[in-house]
Amino acid sequence: MQDYKFDEYPDKFPVAMAYVPWQHFNGIYDDLEKAYQAGTIFPELNKPFTGRRCTS
Amino acid sequence: MNHEQQMLKDIGIVSFTVVELALYLDTHPHDRSAMEYFNHYNRIKTQMEKEFSRTHFPLTLSMAECGKNWTWGEAPLPWEGVCD
Repeated sequence: MQDYKFDEYPDKFPVAMAYVPWQHFNGIYDDLEKAYQAGTIFPELNKPFTGRRCTS
Repeated sequence: MNHEQQMLKDIGIVSFTVVELALYLDTHPHDRSAMEYFNHYNRIKTQMEKEFSRTHFPLTLSMAECGKNWTWGEAPLPWEGVCD
């Protein structure tokens, strides 16, 4: 699988196709329990949904 | 939360970390630092499971070192209402 890193080969990326920037490892959460609650040990993947609460 | 439940919770958290690192390594098989993290937490997980098996009961059959009694048989069974 050819590994095109977004920042290195922007011209190589074909138009009209979706692509995901490659994840790079720079450590994990220190507090594993917090990571467990968040559902990931990678801070960069911790994207909690913050849409408006439903006012049911 | 008694000692057994606390240990089970901690084992679950470390196991989660090991799985997360494994998933990362699946797509980044040459990442040395991720491998070091994996080895580190995997060793911790194994130690914790051995300790739990010694003090309470084995979590998997492979951990069941039977001393004088068959500890594997004494482990509580999930369908007997142990899991809340």
